[in-house]
Amino acid sequence: MEMMRVNGVEIEDTFAEAFRMWGCRVIITAKNQKWADTAAMEMTGFATSVIMCDCEAGIERRLNEDETPDGRPGTAVIVFAHSKKTLIEPLVRRIGQCVLTCPTTAVYNGIPEEEADAMLDIGRRLRFFGDGYQVKMRLGDGWLRRRRFWRIPVMEGEFLIEEMLGAKKGVGGGNFIIMGVDEDSTLEAAERAVEAIHRVPGVITPFPGGLCRSGSKVGSRYPFLRASTNTPFCPAIKHTYLESQVPEGVNSIIEVVLNGLDEASIRKAMAEGIRAAVEVEGVRRITAVNFGGKLGKYQIYLRDCLGGEAS
Amino acid sequence: MMELRLKPKVSGLSIPLEAEVISPDVIAGKTLREVEELRVYHGNRAETLGEYFEVEGEVAPNPEEQLIVVEGDVPWVKYIGAEMTAGKVVVKGDAGMHLGSKMSGGEIIVEGSVGDWAGAEMAGGLIRIRGDAGDLLGAAYRGSPEGMRGGCIYVEGSAGYETGTGMRRGLIVIGGDAAPFTGAHMNGGVIFILGRAAKRLGAQMRGNGSLIICLGEVEELLPTFVYDTTYTPTFMRIYLKTLSEKLGIKRAEEYIGRAFRRYRGDRAVGGDGEILVVERG
Repeated sequence: MEMMRVNGVEIEDTFAEAFRMWGCRVIITAKNQKWADTAAMEMTGFATSVIMCDCEAGIERRLNEDETPDGRPGTAVIVFAHSKKTLIEPLVRRIGQCVLTCPTTAVYNGIPEEEADAMLDIGRRLRFFGDGYQVKMRLGDGWLRRRRFWRIPVMEGEFLIEEMLGAKKGVGGGNFIIMGVDEDSTLEAAERAVEAIHRVPGVITPFPGGLCRSGSKVGSRYPFLRASTNTPFCPAIKHTYLESQVPEGVNSIIEVVLNGLDEASIRKAMAEGIRAAVEVEGVRRITAVNFGGKLGKYQIYLRDCLGGEAS
Repeated sequence: MMELRLKPKVSGLSIPLEAEVISPDVIAGKTLREVEELRVYHGNRAETLGEYFEVEGEVAPNPEEQLIVVEGDVPWVKYIGAEMTAGKVVVKGDAGMHLGSKMSGGEIIVEGSVGDWAGAEMAGGLIRIRGDAGDLLGAAYRGSPEGMRGGCIYVEGSAGYETGTGMRRGLIVIGGDAAPFTGAHMNGGVIFILGRAAKRLGAQMRGNGSLIICLGEVEELLPTFVYDTTYTPTFMRIYLKTLSEKLGIKRAEEYIGRAFRRYRGDRAVGGDGEILVVERG
């Protein structure tokens, strides 16, 4: 296969196969950053892949006091699911169980109505927790942008949540694979990649620390298992698995998976991530996972992301 | 915006002039001559606007681009900006009764004080009053079930009796003191009082998110408002930020993070509205 090189690292001329997902950005604020982060971490737990989880979620970034509606420190979380409909339930459950329960938190919409493809009535559903003592808060009627919130009495004080959260059609399954000579260099490159990716707005990396060491392929030899380890990319069996795609000299591989609120953000984030990864000595090759174009509507070529620049 | 100036030719009329034609909706799209000939009522006599005002400046093709400046005190002119939907009116002095009543959009700025019924039953837009407001600010007209239904009224000075009576939605901010019966019969909407709140506050208030927030002293609360707790609600930060950022009330920021005493009522009518009073000291 034809290769371009960036910083001496081979970039395979292939594409990441991504697919349509719906995303919702939730802004969590709290008395201090500690509690905003705590709620965000809880809310995005067990949300790595829709293969086994009800959604894919991650922390987008921390927000300063001047970036949040109530002037407190905040954390932006983005939750993705296959459709608008399947996005609602994880949001209700996760906000209800992980944010509502977390001291001092409040929840606000992170995608304004004019940018959203749909508004989801998450706060309106959660209000029933107030058992009739919830209070509707109105803002802006007839003179500012109209907003609605629900104030729900809780044992600690009062939980505030915006009535509607914006959702938009996004892209899931953006990815690239880092191949290195050993575990240390591969991990360091992947960590640097994730750090660079998180500088791009609207993008999350739902796997642990943004990384997936156990990328999967569709199906398995077992009829009950619909996804299994990505055998062509397992260095441990590179000489015994006939269709191995692990190059000689490569002994560790990590996949970086990213979801974004739009395709452009995914492309930009992939490029930033790859450029950061190839700076690490010991990285041999970058490639991407695809299914021959059968799974997703987006084919994000690594060469295009990098602008075709070899160096 | 295109500016049309109205200079009063008379002063101190004992019989008020009813001039709801002083509105961007009426004036936009007309010629200056047509504006001068707009009908006003002085008592029971139909007269023209040109008999009371010198008209000069530009007329915009649509209300959104029309600015009307009334240059001077006109406490004898009623219904300025009544039922307006867009554009802007500036009164460089006092204005009479019913200013901005039933308006649904646009902005009115009064550099002096206003008479009674300002913003009565308004549904949208913004009224800023640099001086004081008379009685029944943003209230419901007699026999009407609902008062203010949207929009915002900001009075930098004090407001008279029965402010926000029957209020349903929207925001009233009183920078100074509020006279008795403020928020009576409220069934929604929010009233901020930065000065002293007088007796009968929120009398017969119902629910639907009705809220009176007192940042100053409260003379006396009705016994039918029940004290619940003292707390620091997060939602208050949003309102206070809105006051600071959208209305320029910078002193509102001083109350961010302050504790409030929460009262619910008016239990006399089974109401579940709220009065929040800032904790002193």
